[in-house]
Amino acid sequence: MKTFTSMLAAAALAATPLLAQDWETEGLSEDAITIGVMGPFSGNASSYSKALVGMMAYYDKVNEEGGVHGRKLIAVQEDTACDSAKGLAAAKKLISQDKVFMLQGNSCSGVALALRPTIEEAGLPWIVAHAVSDSISDPLAKNIFHGVPTGGANGRAMAAFVLSKPDTSNVAIIEHSNDWAHSYSNPARDYLEENGVSPSLELTMERGQTDATAQVLKLRQEKPDFIIAALYEAETAIFLRDLVKYGMGDVPVMGTAGTDLENTLKRTGDFETVQNYYVIHSYVDNLDGPLMQQWGEMIHKYNPDEELSTFSFVSIGSAEALVSALEAVGPDLTRSKLMAALEEVRDFDTGILSDPITWTPEDHQGVKGSAVAGFVDGEPTVLRAWGQPY
Amino acid sequence: MSQTMPSARQRRLRTWIFWAVPVLLLLLPLATNPYTQFIANGMLVSVLVTLGFTLTIGNLGQLAFANTAFFGIGAYASAILAAKLGVPWLLTIPLAGAFGALGGFLASAAALRGIRSYYLAIITLAFGELMRWGYTHFSPLTGGTDGTPMPRETLFGISLTDDTLKFYVFLGVTVLLVKGTLNLLRSRFGRAVMAVRENEIATASLAIPTSRVILVTFMWSGFVVGCAGALFARHVGHVFPESFGMLHLIASFAMVLVGGLGSVLGSVLGAVLLTALPEYLRAFPGMEELFFGLIVAGVLVLMPMGLASLLRRLSPIFVERHYREAP
Repeated sequence: MKTFTSMLAAAALAATPLLAQDWETEGLSEDAITIGVMGPFSGNASSYSKALVGMMAYYDKVNEEGGVHGRKLIAVQEDTACDSAKGLAAAKKLISQDKVFMLQGNSCSGVALALRPTIEEAGLPWIVAHAVSDSISDPLAKNIFHGVPTGGANGRAMAAFVLSKPDTSNVAIIEHSNDWAHSYSNPARDYLEENGVSPSLELTMERGQTDATAQVLKLRQEKPDFIIAALYEAETAIFLRDLVKYGMGDVPVMGTAGTDLENTLKRTGDFETVQNYYVIHSYVDNLDGPLMQQWGEMIHKYNPDEELSTFSFVSIGSAEALVSALEAVGPDLTRSKLMAALEEVRDFDTGILSDPITWTPEDHQGVKGSAVAGFVDGEPTVLRAWGQPY
Repeated sequence: MSQTMPSARQRRLRTWIFWAVPVLLLLLPLATNPYTQFIANGMLVSVLVTLGFTLTIGNLGQLAFANTAFFGIGAYASAILAAKLGVPWLLTIPLAGAFGALGGFLASAAALRGIRSYYLAIITLAFGELMRWGYTHFSPLTGGTDGTPMPRETLFGISLTDDTLKFYVFLGVTVLLVKGTLNLLRSRFGRAVMAVRENEIATASLAIPTSRVILVTFMWSGFVVGCAGALFARHVGHVFPESFGMLHLIASFAMVLVGGLGSVLGSVLGAVLLTALPEYLRAFPGMEELFFGLIVAGVLVLMPMGLASLLRRLSPIFVERHYREAP
């Protein structure tokens, strides 16, 4: 009996490295790397699934060029419907049933937050390519990498742009009373205070509000140099319209990545309302600018019917960083080697994101800043700082 | 349509089946992987949500849609008790049920004031939306739109992230609550519930305290769904306001109707089918919503009394004493 037990223990011990080896190369074959791509492909938030189109088009481009060390990037898509329970089912399916090598994607911060414990426990590499909540990748998890600017990075970029305007000392904040808005306004407020500026006025505009007269009249009394607006697109349009209505159209307004210059103009229908409006814009150029042209063409090559929007490009940068890390690992790929290679990515210029990607063993939030877009001489322009085109 | 009631022998067989099914289900984790186990756990949560819903809308006959509010109250109660006060999750289940029952008490206030039909529907819908507003805006307590994560915890030395362990707890809670609800509906009180559904004035004329019947049914419904909320909180590990919106309510209502309004067996069937269906439809990306709608509509057109009616036609064993089909 004792001999049998010893043999069993020895067999188990011998099998351990084999099992670990299996885990390291799960989802890999001689000619393919399977990548689980989760996104809201159905439901109310399905428009966010556009955010994964660019990433998958980039996979197609790499595959057409021969893959990475002879391996094609095979995307296995699963729908989260922007719902935490459905998202968890998708993640568990990809990990335990489809046995993908790694995960990349995810819109909807709430779903990504719900997935974090499951994916952290599973240990396979996960690159977050769209969702922005800082809590997805902070505190640090060995296998979770953020490939887009987080809410915190965007909030600080907003405040940095505001303070880059000469003689700005009187800053007001208007925001929704929800955590989405706070995820922008809190880091912006921190940045302002670190630079000796306390917001002179803090106002709330609730979602669904169709009039901003009360807020605008308070702002008119305060005469701010700059206004930070953490509002959704519909409320932004109402707020900007009322600013012009009450003679404050010349006060610059800094908006979040949740709004877009062209769409806001479409909503207000009046250029005067947006001529002093600036938004977080994570790209090197306008969507129809020359630096973005190659990316637009790449997306259209593999998705001819795709109507391009800001979201279409957001995940390309992290896909480039992934491919760069896969190339650095070489043909003898494992999950651990890939994670180690991702932690070696430094100042990686994607050619599409305005700021480079850097992942270190201590910090997996790869993109630390963002450019800003605004109208200069009537033309939408990407800016590094006030008056400084990108 | 007349119903043949089961004989004494058939009733004994029914009891045997009732206990045999969960005993057989104990073996289910041997045949699942983490994904399919997760789906099975979700089915058990849905069974309780549907059961609580059908109690007020099917058995009591009140057009009340506060079900999602009870679910959210239970989930948040469990998450907040566990995350902020360090209460072991297992203990939060009955406590979440108690909070759900309190929600049921509040929701019944409108019904007790004589509000019925569409008016009751809109008031209970508003109650649900009010709760959702609360989850979003009482950030210090609920975590706002970032939600409340469930703390990591072990039970019998096993991490509660383990879906198999969760399955056994979920199964135990589900069996207890289904049995409790069946007993309640078969009791004198259950007959009063049915009497209120058929004719409230006539019931009151028999000296049955209809207000108390309505109040207790709402509270029991809230308790069952509140417990389901606690299971859901552990199931997904993170509670968000979005989980308790109109879409969830519609899905639960579909489960009630597809299973069979007012039928406990139907609640189980509807919940199991409509939790599994979207997972099967993953194979048709972009078409899931269309196929899901078509299948639900198809079941309702072909079996207006729900899936339970199919089994009732098959054998009187499946006829529930508290259940009465429409003439």
